[in-house]
Amino acid sequence: MKRRTRNLPEVPERFPRAFQNLLHDLLARGPRLPGGKTEHERSKRRVLSQSGTFVGHRRYVRGDDLRRIDWAACARTGELFVKLFEEEERRALTLLLDLSPSLLAGVAPRRLFMLRLAAIIGGLALRHLDGLTVIAPGGGGAAVASFEGPGELDALLAHLDALPVAPASAEAAIGVVLKRGVAGRLHWISDFVDPTSCELPLAALRRRGAAVTGWLPMLAEDRQAPVRGYLRLADLETGAELMVAVDQALAAEMQHQLELLARQQDRLFAQFGYPLRRWPVPAPADLQVASYQQIVQWCSR
Amino acid sequence: MSLMHAAHLWWLLVLPLLFWLALPPRPRQQAWTAHLVQWRLAQKALRQKPPRLSGLRFLLLALACLAAVVAHAGPVLAGTPGPTRLVVLLDASASMAARHDGRSAFDVATQAVAQKLAALPDHVEVTVLRCGGDLVRRHGPAARALQDIGRPAGALAVDLEALAAEVAGPNTVAWTLTDGQGQGRLPAAGALLCVGAAGPNAAIVAVRTIDRWPLPGFSAAVDVLWCGPEACTGEVQVTGAVQDTPPLSIELLPRAVQTVPVDLERLAKGGLLGLRLVVAGDVLPDDDVFEVELPPLPAPRIAVLVDAEAGPFADLAAKTLAQEVGGQVVPAAAGAEVGLLLVDGGNVAIAPGRVRSICFGSQFDAQQVPVPWLEPQFADWDRGSPLTAGLDLSELRVHCAFRETLPAGQAFLWAQHAVQGRVPLAVVAGDERHASVHFGFRLQDSNLPFLSAFPQLLRRAFVRCYGAAAKLRVRSPAMAPGEQDLQARAVGVDRPLPPFGTPDRELAAWSLLLGLCALALRAFVP
Repeated sequence: MKRRTRNLPEVPERFPRAFQNLLHDLLARGPRLPGGKTEHERSKRRVLSQSGTFVGHRRYVRGDDLRRIDWAACARTGELFVKLFEEEERRALTLLLDLSPSLLAGVAPRRLFMLRLAAIIGGLALRHLDGLTVIAPGGGGAAVASFEGPGELDALLAHLDALPVAPASAEAAIGVVLKRGVAGRLHWISDFVDPTSCELPLAALRRRGAAVTGWLPMLAEDRQAPVRGYLRLADLETGAELMVAVDQALAAEMQHQLELLARQQDRLFAQFGYPLRRWPVPAPADLQVASYQQIVQWCSR
Repeated sequence: MSLMHAAHLWWLLVLPLLFWLALPPRPRQQAWTAHLVQWRLAQKALRQKPPRLSGLRFLLLALACLAAVVAHAGPVLAGTPGPTRLVVLLDASASMAARHDGRSAFDVATQAVAQKLAALPDHVEVTVLRCGGDLVRRHGPAARALQDIGRPAGALAVDLEALAAEVAGPNTVAWTLTDGQGQGRLPAAGALLCVGAAGPNAAIVAVRTIDRWPLPGFSAAVDVLWCGPEACTGEVQVTGAVQDTPPLSIELLPRAVQTVPVDLERLAKGGLLGLRLVVAGDVLPDDDVFEVELPPLPAPRIAVLVDAEAGPFADLAAKTLAQEVGGQVVPAAAGAEVGLLLVDGGNVAIAPGRVRSICFGSQFDAQQVPVPWLEPQFADWDRGSPLTAGLDLSELRVHCAFRETLPAGQAFLWAQHAVQGRVPLAVVAGDERHASVHFGFRLQDSNLPFLSAFPQLLRRAFVRCYGAAAKLRVRSPAMAPGEQDLQARAVGVDRPLPPFGTPDRELAAWSLLLGLCALALRAFVP
């Protein structure tokens, strides 16, 4: 199998003016996120302040916020420990974005809709909750970013637009999340093309008691394989190529494999009690409210 | 390994083309996918394989191409250097028949050759030259089988030393097998095998015969040679178609040719006459025998035809001849079978040369009128002809001759013509089996009957009419000079045959086979 170095497909403009108008329209008419109304006052506080329910200690590692150090425990044991708090999901929300190249697949790249989906969910969080944490493993300096208040919507869009394409495994992504701490519900947006690699991370999140919602922008290619043709398929992650002569039998078998993959993904999230939202993406130029209303409805549940 | 046509290796440039042709076609459509794993699983479920370049298949194809090109270039595996041709110089002279310990030297030599040739590799080109007697050359399989190589006989007519030196070369080995008899030195070139051993030998070296046919008398002078250390006694035994004759004892002196006169009386029926020299201790008995086939004696019925003007000469001549040869004179009658016809003058209807006859001025063609030639001047006679050799015909006088009575034939008497010069007066017509003697004059027209040579001429004419039927046939091979004295042979040290080289082996067929195997194996490679 050859490995070819090719230019990855370009992602069209993520947030054109029409989408921003659509986003404002959705945020204006959309329902509130659960908990946002009752905890409105508390949401004014900083997301990362020492609040919430104390759940225990862990050893200090370099980079931890010094304000979280439990100096009393330090005095008792002689070692540095930081206090762990369970953030209440009603006041915060965490977005975990998959920046891996595999999301560049599709006639209209899946990454485009991932970013738009993150913008919508993040916008809702900024509008109705205390704060928003965006974790994008592999994003370098922009791997973790926090936003609060509706006024930072543009900053959120700019942050999302600037996120690079970077390979990152699910284990590494969840590692960042666990190290950083989950603030509120974790919305994990990815293509989940390798469900088995997500099993351990989800189990870790489950042990931590995190609430997770999986988001999968579903392309047409996820549902229907190409019927005929002699194709050279290239893997976005590895660059590996595969030449296939697609006939009816192979197309049917590929259809079957895609269904198996979808079933694996569903079973993966179901076994940990997490929902997986499959969002059938619209056309890139389709910026009708109806096409994105489903996201808002899912977020309100 | 070397290549005969190394320039043909340029064909290897076709390999990149083959590689390009072996590449699978490139699809025109390319798509990025995140489901490469699913595509592979789907192909695996359908047992499909992606079109790709199989390294092993291309390797086998390249190997087949390489083998074909190398075969085209003519690969040759160099053989070991050395001679690849063997020339056997087999001495088959009469002395090789000398026996020692019950076996002749020739048998020992042929057995050694047969054993060596049987063990010789097939690529060695073998030629056998039989030297001695008739030169015989055998080549290839006939040489390896020593086919019709014959028995030892005759003299060694070639110089083995010079022949071996001329034959031997970088690729040719000369192998001489000889007893050394009759040679000054043994060959210095090539391999050598000396056979036989010295021993005493008695031989009949020559026989001179005096045949008195059609008379029964027969004489022979037998030259014998004894090659032994000291004098001894031998005897000459006579057997065959003669009256019983006791053995003739002779005291043989070493290395001296002695003549034994033998007078015999032959049997009328003829047959084989054998003369054998018997000496105790003789190791070479083949040269002790002289055999000659004697023709049967004639008992002819002689008929005489004369014209009206003829004298008594023809009748008297017939009676004398019949008395001398044991025949009888019979009347000439139509349909009667006679052995000789004596014709004097007249006209007779016989075919010249087909009927044994002696004609004196007889006409054969009735249409042609003979013209008398008066007083022809007798010129000469053939002094080398069996008919007239040793006879004195100088006093022959012819009063009248008829040249038209002479048929075409070999002349032995001539007359001098004023215009035509020397013209025949007598001829012999016919071949070796049947002949007729014709004189261009009648007996009464010449003084031939009165000449003292006439009876002898008449008897010789009779013998000539019988031709080959009156000749001796010697059955023994010609005596081989220098093959008798077995004590004086050249001796030398045997030299074995050198190792032979192996020829270059062409590997084109093997290379092609390798290519075909590669192609066949490629058919099974997925």
